[in-house]
Amino acid sequence: MYKVLLCLRYLQTRWLAMICIVSVMLGVATLIVVNSVMNGFSTKLRDRLHGLLSDIVIEAYDYDGFLDPKAKMARIMADPYLAKNIESMAPTLEIFAMLQYAYHDVPFTRSIRLIGIDPKSRAEVGGFSEFLTQPDRKAKPSFDLSPDAKARQAKNHVMDRKPTYFQELPTDPSAPPPPEPPPSKPHEPHGLIIGHAIAHFRDRTAGSEGQVKDIRALEPGDDVIITTVSGQKLSPVVDRFAVADYFRSEMSEYDSMYVFVPIDHLQKLRTMEDRVTSILVRLKNFDEAPGVVARLKTVLKNEPVEVQTWEQKQGALLAAIRVEKGILNILLFMIIGVAGFGILAIFTMIVAEKTRDIGILKALGASRFGVMQIFLGYGLLLGLVGCLLGTAMGLAITHNINEIESFIGGLTGQELFPRDIYYFDKIPTDVHPMGVLFVNIGAVLIAVAFSLLPAFRAASLNPVRALRYE
Amino acid sequence: MNDLVDVPAATTGQPLVGESVQPDTTSVPIKPVLRVNGLKKAYRKHTLSVPVLHGVNLNVDPGEFVSIVGQSGSGKSTLLHLIGLLDANDSGSIEFEGRRIDNLPTSQRDKIRNEAFGFVFQFYHLLPELTALENVLLPLMIGKGPFGWLVSRGRAVTRAQELLERVGLGHRIDHKPRELSGGEMQRTALARALITKPRLLLADEPTGNLDDESGADVIRLLRTLNREEGLTILMVTHNLEITKDTDRLVRLSKGLVVDEELHPAA
Repeated sequence: MYKVLLCLRYLQTRWLAMICIVSVMLGVATLIVVNSVMNGFSTKLRDRLHGLLSDIVIEAYDYDGFLDPKAKMARIMADPYLAKNIESMAPTLEIFAMLQYAYHDVPFTRSIRLIGIDPKSRAEVGGFSEFLTQPDRKAKPSFDLSPDAKARQAKNHVMDRKPTYFQELPTDPSAPPPPEPPPSKPHEPHGLIIGHAIAHFRDRTAGSEGQVKDIRALEPGDDVIITTVSGQKLSPVVDRFAVADYFRSEMSEYDSMYVFVPIDHLQKLRTMEDRVTSILVRLKNFDEAPGVVARLKTVLKNEPVEVQTWEQKQGALLAAIRVEKGILNILLFMIIGVAGFGILAIFTMIVAEKTRDIGILKALGASRFGVMQIFLGYGLLLGLVGCLLGTAMGLAITHNINEIESFIGGLTGQELFPRDIYYFDKIPTDVHPMGVLFVNIGAVLIAVAFSLLPAFRAASLNPVRALRYE
Repeated sequence: MNDLVDVPAATTGQPLVGESVQPDTTSVPIKPVLRVNGLKKAYRKHTLSVPVLHGVNLNVDPGEFVSIVGQSGSGKSTLLHLIGLLDANDSGSIEFEGRRIDNLPTSQRDKIRNEAFGFVFQFYHLLPELTALENVLLPLMIGKGPFGWLVSRGRAVTRAQELLERVGLGHRIDHKPRELSGGEMQRTALARALITKPRLLLADEPTGNLDDESGADVIRLLRTLNREEGLTILMVTHNLEITKDTDRLVRLSKGLVVDEELHPAA
């Protein structure tokens, strides 16, 4: 009982102990915040990747794609196991392309990934319609231009229509009627859905307090020229499209690269009728993915396609995230290790300071182990209090991280979380209770481990020498 | 107040910690509670050996109040520490209540220090973080496990309060040592030494750090405990004045007992 009493009294009366508690607290809080933010990023990234890639991808080996996706999908759905597990499928045709548009009469050229889709089936697979910016289109995805976009398109191409500002020349009534002009219909370009970051510039100076502002370079209805390749000889083909909507997935890589166009039009443009480069598959339950992949491989055994889950397809990236998180955790645990050395130093001082007390306790019959337990218990108590405060602090910071970020950003004038990297509106966080528990257990163990040496030293003190210690 | 100290086990047949006592069938009238035979001790620093005790012989009878005097460096404190099992002797033996104790394992030595001996030091040696009451209760807390302590806590607190009353500190039980005078701290230390009802009280210069009046108070208390309750006391001092109240004076010089003097009138 005296051990508990002395641990508590030492905790209350020794300000040096507060330093240990603060070190453990800061270490634990840092680990919780960093882990939560990394988990948030990782979860959001996984969600985005998963959404954009669907559950399973049946992919051609090259950009020439494979023939007759409808027949393949029919074959797949003919299999009872696959039919039971597959929710929907969407063929896509993907190719690199160059995109050009004019902003204030200055041409801008970008390289893009041109993706031909059928908006309805692509929306059913998921990871598409929810990232469109116009509410109507989210509900009913299409490449049709809105009335406003059509009006802008018409305004942009006023020269294409029959001029009205020339006076009609007087005609000779006796003359034979002039031949009818060939039927002229203004070319109505296909709509496309363009990545948000392609159609917008970021202006860091426009906003206040470190906020960035998006400046729209392409309005709905504006023209874009797309050049890609066609046929066996990869001949360049060009077409004009009009912006129908923007695609904003908050994933920089996709928002700055992806341009969606109608799949049938892209097939015509590339002279590859009825060929696609991949079929996206959405499952009813992702847990069934390994079984479905195996069965798909059997069904499509002789086809020039590869079947992968989204995780397999993004394996390198996901592995990189895991490794990054693991290394970061090791580095951060070193912070608690530093706190541990603080505990070691401070405990050594406290043991020196308490040498006489240790002599008294031994004279009164306390055993070596009993004295050791006081200092181990003290380390445990410091670790526990530090962890408790650190957890509270870490959770509070995690909960308010965006407010803290904007406050610090306001103070320093430096944006801590550049939103154009991820296009996340907020810093994503995800607190894993098990992770918090592991951090706490680790920190307490480190606190106890670093108090072992001073505790052992205290236990080994000769009582007579300890009593004479000044 | 008669139960504040235990009657020595040698007279009651109470066994030592962890040992059983054979019934004494002889008819020896008084058996010494403490017997020290040829005790030697030297302190070593590297290859240098500094002998302190050269073979001390000493017997203390139950209920006796013995004072040991000697000049600084005569080995009187070392002798007390060896008897109190705070240090290990080089040779010779120490018997307590008929049993040799200097060669016992550490755990049994700890237990004897806790249960059979009471210590009073020159510098009081109270724990500064604890109140007077907690300091007095400390030996009981050390001796009992958490469960045993919780069960006996009520009785222990009552007894500690009685002891503090007895030493005149009933009104200062919640005071920390820094709030007490030297005399009060020493009386608290005395109450702490008595809480386990020790069979031998070892006092190392108990008045060495006190003014005359406070010192006299402490000696009076010791004498009362010795006379009224038969507490065996072994006291080390260099103050000859206070030895007058003790039953016997043992003079130590250069690590040997050189003289013994009985004070029958004390």
